[in-house]
Amino acid sequence: MSTRPTKPRDTTDLAAGLLLMAAAAFFGWQTRELEIGSSLRMGPGYFPMLLSGLLFILGALVALKSLGREDEPFGRIAWRGILFILPAPVFFGLTVRGLGFVPALFVTTLIAAQASVRMRPLPALGLAVAVTILSTLIFSYGLGLPFRRFGPWLGM
Amino acid sequence: MDLLNNLAMGFSVASSLANLLFCLIGVILGTLIGVLPGIGATATIAMLMPITFQLEPVSSLIMLAGIYYGAQYGGSTTAILINMPGESSSAVTAIDGYQMARKGKAGTALSVAALGSFFAGTVSTFLVALFAPPLTAVALKFGAAEYFSLMVLGLVMSVALAHGSVLKALAMVVLGLLLGIVGTDIYTGTPRFTMGITEYADGLNFVALAVGVFGIAEILRNLEDESDREVMTKNINRLFPTREEFREMIGPVLRGTGIGSVLGILPGGGAILASFASYTVEKKISKHPEEFGKGALAGVAGPESANNAGAQTSFIPLLTLGIPANPVMALMIGAMIIQGIVPGPNVVSEQPQLFWGIIASMWIGNLMLVVLNLPLIGLWVKLLSVPYYVLFPIIMAMCSIGVYSVASNTFDLYAVAFFGLLGYLMSKLRCEPAPLLLGFVLGPLLEENLRRAMILSRGDPSTFLTRPISLVILVMALAVLVLVFLPQIRKRRDEVFTESDA
Amino acid sequence: MTTTLTRRLLLGAALALGLAGTAAAFPDRPVTLVIPFAAGGSTDVVGRIVADKMGAALGQQIVVQNVGGAGGSLGAQQVAKADPDGYTILMGTVATHALNPLILKQKPYDPVADFAPVSLLVLVPNVLAVNPQLPVNTVQELIDLAKKEPLAYASSGNGTPLHLSGALFNSMAGTEITHIPYKGSGPALTDVLGNQVPIIFDNLPSASGHIASGKLRALGVTTKERAPRFPDVPAIAETLPGYETYSWNALFAPAGTPPEVIAALNKAAVAAMADPAVVARMKDFSASIVASTPEELGAHVAAEMAKWEPVVREANVSLD
Repeated sequence: MSTRPTKPRDTTDLAAGLLLMAAAAFFGWQTRELEIGSSLRMGPGYFPMLLSGLLFILGALVALKSLGREDEPFGRIAWRGILFILPAPVFFGLTVRGLGFVPALFVTTLIAAQASVRMRPLPALGLAVAVTILSTLIFSYGLGLPFRRFGPWLGM
Repeated sequence: MDLLNNLAMGFSVASSLANLLFCLIGVILGTLIGVLPGIGATATIAMLMPITFQLEPVSSLIMLAGIYYGAQYGGSTTAILINMPGESSSAVTAIDGYQMARKGKAGTALSVAALGSFFAGTVSTFLVALFAPPLTAVALKFGAAEYFSLMVLGLVMSVALAHGSVLKALAMVVLGLLLGIVGTDIYTGTPRFTMGITEYADGLNFVALAVGVFGIAEILRNLEDESDREVMTKNINRLFPTREEFREMIGPVLRGTGIGSVLGILPGGGAILASFASYTVEKKISKHPEEFGKGALAGVAGPESANNAGAQTSFIPLLTLGIPANPVMALMIGAMIIQGIVPGPNVVSEQPQLFWGIIASMWIGNLMLVVLNLPLIGLWVKLLSVPYYVLFPIIMAMCSIGVYSVASNTFDLYAVAFFGLLGYLMSKLRCEPAPLLLGFVLGPLLEENLRRAMILSRGDPSTFLTRPISLVILVMALAVLVLVFLPQIRKRRDEVFTESDA
Repeated sequence: MTTTLTRRLLLGAALALGLAGTAAAFPDRPVTLVIPFAAGGSTDVVGRIVADKMGAALGQQIVVQNVGGAGGSLGAQQVAKADPDGYTILMGTVATHALNPLILKQKPYDPVADFAPVSLLVLVPNVLAVNPQLPVNTVQELIDLAKKEPLAYASSGNGTPLHLSGALFNSMAGTEITHIPYKGSGPALTDVLGNQVPIIFDNLPSASGHIASGKLRALGVTTKERAPRFPDVPAIAETLPGYETYSWNALFAPAGTPPEVIAALNKAAVAAMADPAVVARMKDFSASIVASTPEELGAHVAAEMAKWEPVVREANVSLD
């Protein structure tokens, strides 16, 4: 972590505040079709509307307080990690029923393994094979979880 | 000497060779599955429950209870080692436990958790044996107004969870409350914030949220710069606490046991608050509150004890009323019915063998856990020397299985990815995940009880003040609020020119 | 055609007896029983008890999969879309096959067109009970009290058979007892036991322990006849003639499942329901065994939808 001198503004907190306000606006917008009701007989929209408003105010306060303060560095961003870690569970979700447990888990592990620059292709393959075999033994055979090992997409 | 007779009967049931064996198997299986990242107690029990159906009722429930403690213990282990909590309670353990692990004190954190849990388990087991019926009567005095006030108290305390900016922590709580609202409104059936996705009609999955904002965010942080940073200190020091650390943990363990025992009795969601409340108390009375969030021993000892005590006493409403205090207890009720036992107030009188056998086995199970796990700590800690780039693909695979196995809902897996991104973004913006998580678990309870109280009082908001228990809790909330903000205001006055707002 | 059909049936029967097994006969691999509610609930309990014995009758394991969510709609939807080969079947309920389709504005599936009925397994009575501190002993006294002062009843949730049992009660008795929904039967019972809410409509199985111990006073069961386990508790219909509600559990396969497969499943289900162990459990559970034919289940679904349609309309319940 290096410290670079910058203009007196805490960009991290400014970003946090603005994002919170955006989230509040999003939730508030989603609330518009819900019935608000009254304090005595609250509708489904009452509580969310209240919270959206509160979040907006808090976001604005965070943003305001960030002005006139030292910046702290944002640091590096794990782009490679985001690119490979986050799709892993999504892939599993998309394919566990179609491909079945075994192939879905194998590819999921393989995708996640790509997130590190230190992981070479061959060890990654080995790891995915090991994880798949062990998990299938434990969860599918051992605990009898109701997963299809090979799904209909494979014609089995 | 009814109690002694009953306990003796319980122990004679629980210590039959077969039951000891089932308890042991339950504890071992629970620990082993629960220790897998992203697989918490609920998922573990759901996975292992069918195994127990073939057994005798007493053995089946003893084994199931063993699985429960084992899974909970395993969950804390993953929370400490890799910041991957599978339950709301271990989310609190993760805050300081993981920091201890990063400092090379994983062994200490794990043994403190084990010893604290065992002590809490012992005390609360006796509480269950001694006071189950009168405590149930107290629990039934809690109606919607009382639960609402209790949740308000929990929210006020949540601010103390943060170790950075209080303002941002509040914003995180509110964001958590909003995320907790996702799903179907129970009063009108209106879907809220579901984007028209039926799979989210029952709300977002807690495990998906916890795994995402804690575990996956942490993996991403560690992947930021692989060349020059080691995740864990290589030189792991002693596995067991020093004499000094022992002394340090006594207070938190005692207080945690008390807090957890009391909150665990409340069937309407009190146990959820146990570990959060204990953390708040420890941080407030600590001489070094600044250590919290950076690896404070009390931040592990207190919440872990509270958590385990609450887990034990949440058996009280189950055994005396047949009412589940949490999803795990609901599974236990299902198991009882499958075994042909009608849960209800009559279980104590009609099935004393079962009732006291389970109580005795609670203690035996806790003893087994501590005996099993203290030697295992060395092994767990060794896991940390596995290179991180090998560890995290395994973590991703396990948490995919774990999250999916809870409800076979693929949308929960998409939520994991989303919350992973959110958690990473939050950590980049220096927003803490623990207050978000607390808001998420409290949100639905807060709203549900607020609206129910208002319907029951026919729209009269004074119900929160005229009901004595509710009033007392609200006064406590006010007191905590003053305690939290007063030092800050004073500090602000003293140090107008400093930038700190914590 | 008929000869192959008979042959398959015979093979299925042979397999059921554990005498033979060829790849052609159903089932040659485990069957998945989808339970559209979380583990531990009453449907789950019935499902697991039946699955065990049915698997034995089929000669193949029946794997229970809980697909909870959206009041049972998610699990039902999953089976509606599954391959119609009999290897994925549903433990349907009054919620999945009568109430949800009437209540939901967006219909995720069609309870009649998307499913092939297999067998109506059990009927489960509901019960109207009050906290003993409420000074009423009969349904009539409750109606009289409700007309004098405002009362509230707890149920396991909005749009559940218990909510609608209350709605039907209100409409037939001319009362306006306020509905307080909970997230499931457990929390609702807790509040009634603690007298936070005086009245509850609940499944008889989950309330029976409390009724037996006197912690709850049962005013009436919702079935036409009294429940065998509680002969002293009158039927609500004795006060409000024509009042009848109950929950039920039934097996469904996806529409288009071959008739011989349905027949094999039905045979196994009927055999399972005749098993003495299952009979005993269902008795504990206050559930009465039906074990119908597929045709009877089809007619039952139609009758239930016709019965609930006006109640749902009158109670003005709708979910998106």
